[in-house]
Amino acid sequence: MKQASLSIDGLREVVRQLPANGLAPLREAALAHLDENGLPTLRDEDWKYTDLSPLIDISNRWLSAGGQQRPPALPADTIATITSSIDANWLVICNGTIDENSVAAVRRDGIEISRFSEAPSPFVKSKPLADLNAALLQDGLRIRVTGSIEKPVGILIVDRAGDSAAVAQSCVEIAVASGVSAEFIEYHASEGNADHYANTVLSIAVGDGADVKHVRIQNRSIRHVQTGRTSVALGRDARLRMASYDLGGSLIRNDIDIDLGEPGADVAFDGLYLAGDGQHIDNHTRVDHHVGPATSSQEYRGILNGNCRCVWNGKAIVHKGADGTDASQANHNLLLSDKAEIDTKPELEIYADEVKCSHGTTVGQLDETALFYLRTRGLDKRHAIQVLTHAFAADIVQRAPVAGVKDAITAIVEDRLAELIEADAAADLLS
Amino acid sequence: MLEIDNLESRIGDSEILRGLSLSVKAGEVHAIMGPNGSGKSTLAQVIAGHEDYEVTGGTVTYNGHDLLDLAPEERAREGIFLGFQYPVEIPGVNNAYLLKAAVNAKRKHQGLGEVDAFEFLKLAREKMATLGMDPKFLNRGVNEGFSGGEKKRNEILQMAMLEPSLAILDETDSGLDIDALKAVAAGVNALRSPERAIILVTHYQRLLDYVEPDFVHVLSQGRIVRSGDKSLALELEEKGYEWVREAANA
Repeated sequence: MKQASLSIDGLREVVRQLPANGLAPLREAALAHLDENGLPTLRDEDWKYTDLSPLIDISNRWLSAGGQQRPPALPADTIATITSSIDANWLVICNGTIDENSVAAVRRDGIEISRFSEAPSPFVKSKPLADLNAALLQDGLRIRVTGSIEKPVGILIVDRAGDSAAVAQSCVEIAVASGVSAEFIEYHASEGNADHYANTVLSIAVGDGADVKHVRIQNRSIRHVQTGRTSVALGRDARLRMASYDLGGSLIRNDIDIDLGEPGADVAFDGLYLAGDGQHIDNHTRVDHHVGPATSSQEYRGILNGNCRCVWNGKAIVHKGADGTDASQANHNLLLSDKAEIDTKPELEIYADEVKCSHGTTVGQLDETALFYLRTRGLDKRHAIQVLTHAFAADIVQRAPVAGVKDAITAIVEDRLAELIEADAAADLLS
Repeated sequence: MLEIDNLESRIGDSEILRGLSLSVKAGEVHAIMGPNGSGKSTLAQVIAGHEDYEVTGGTVTYNGHDLLDLAPEERAREGIFLGFQYPVEIPGVNNAYLLKAAVNAKRKHQGLGEVDAFEFLKLAREKMATLGMDPKFLNRGVNEGFSGGEKKRNEILQMAMLEPSLAILDETDSGLDIDALKAVAAGVNALRSPERAIILVTHYQRLLDYVEPDFVHVLSQGRIVRSGDKSLALELEEKGYEWVREAANA
């Protein structure tokens, strides 16, 4: 089946109606670049498992209805639930609109926050979904951490679906100055029944010798669609610890690009995805080792139940001259249903001589022997399955680099696993 | 307590138990011995409720109820404990969590409230001390990276915490050095009481030097071919199992 195409004419109309805040030339340039290239299709190697039709359909319906970006009333309960469970100073972006009050509350010594519109950057050619983001962006946030800060900076991207299909863009640039340590929590949530598509672009620049910890939690409504691109660059002797948790969403695509252009950089990033009936979660990661010595390691784990599909594609490119590179990639999957599908692919491209690289992927089912063992200790089958699936996820939860967020992640992972096991699709699991 | 009558069981296409009968009363310790492949472990697995073993004939009643009707977890909560020959490693599941979940599952079944966390830890540490286990094992993954001896001690710890009415220990003595064997035996002896029964499945007589059985049964080709008191174990030790096979074929 041919993928529908995005209405560029509709997009042009809507882009022209956006507030004239200095970003207009950038929007026009992004739109032109998107028009030239189009959105990826299943024929593109990087997109062959992920059909963008659902988000194109939502976008076209939204565009034809006028592409309203009216700032809604904030979903106060959802925000309160999240911000009270995780101790951080929270910036809030709701339906693509930056909440001014939150910006004022987070600004303090050591953190500079500004809007893109205050000092627009020149247009840089990017990937199609990032172009779409730039074309429709109301405004973006720049966060620069220059000194020690007491609490993590929280970035809450929350969407409220109204009565009809809608689209929201958000863009955040993070920079951490040389030698500074900082923690970030990126949280994606949504509510409401109408179709919704959120598209986010995030960049993290870790300065020389800086130490950054970043946790990303995606706990959107199971009905909603999200795509996101995270671009990371590490300076000399910089260190980054990152972990990503995907629990919600009907169609989720995450692209993470990590650029190691200075010696001594050290990045470790992990991910956990939990998918049930009707979900499609795709993680594409890419690490470019330009120089050595530098270290990158990643481990993604997935638990799938029911009629769902997940994709993991981890690419590491060790460029010529990047001697002293140490790169490892792992992806492990637990399939609880024969209707679940995982497409997993590590990719290593090595053009340097002195390197240490490893990769491994596994796909397995619940260990029947362990299940029986737990039952002989009095745990019922449901409890035993819960214990085993939780154990599979536990390493990644425990590795959340921001200590204060572990309890919140444990709680939402437990809730989601319980839902997955209870779901009708798991009936045969419990029979 | 346990009445097994003419039990037949198979796994896949192979018949393993072929008309096994055994009666175990409260307060008794039974040793089940026999050559490899005679059906000792199958008997233990069938009593615990392993679903891969199909019961094709006979009955098993436990405290007057049909045991074969119950799911493995129901059997456990009714007081049956199986000590595994090969305890399963479950990385990511904390040993203390499993112990507590197991104790609470049984308490809930008995209509009791959940165990007090402080009391539970205190009791677990006491039992571990008597088994010669380092308390740090409480915070490790279940059997994760444990040596053979540590795994078997961990089984005995679970048994001690669960205080079963009927404990079946499947080759708990295999692969143990003398210290571990003594610790395990002490754990088993501590559980002996007029209300409890213990079935020791073992290949060797060695464990029986430390845990004295009331009855010894010899299993061959899926049935009990001879029963006696503890002297039978000594006789087996002396003569080997060859004569048992001959007796079974006769």
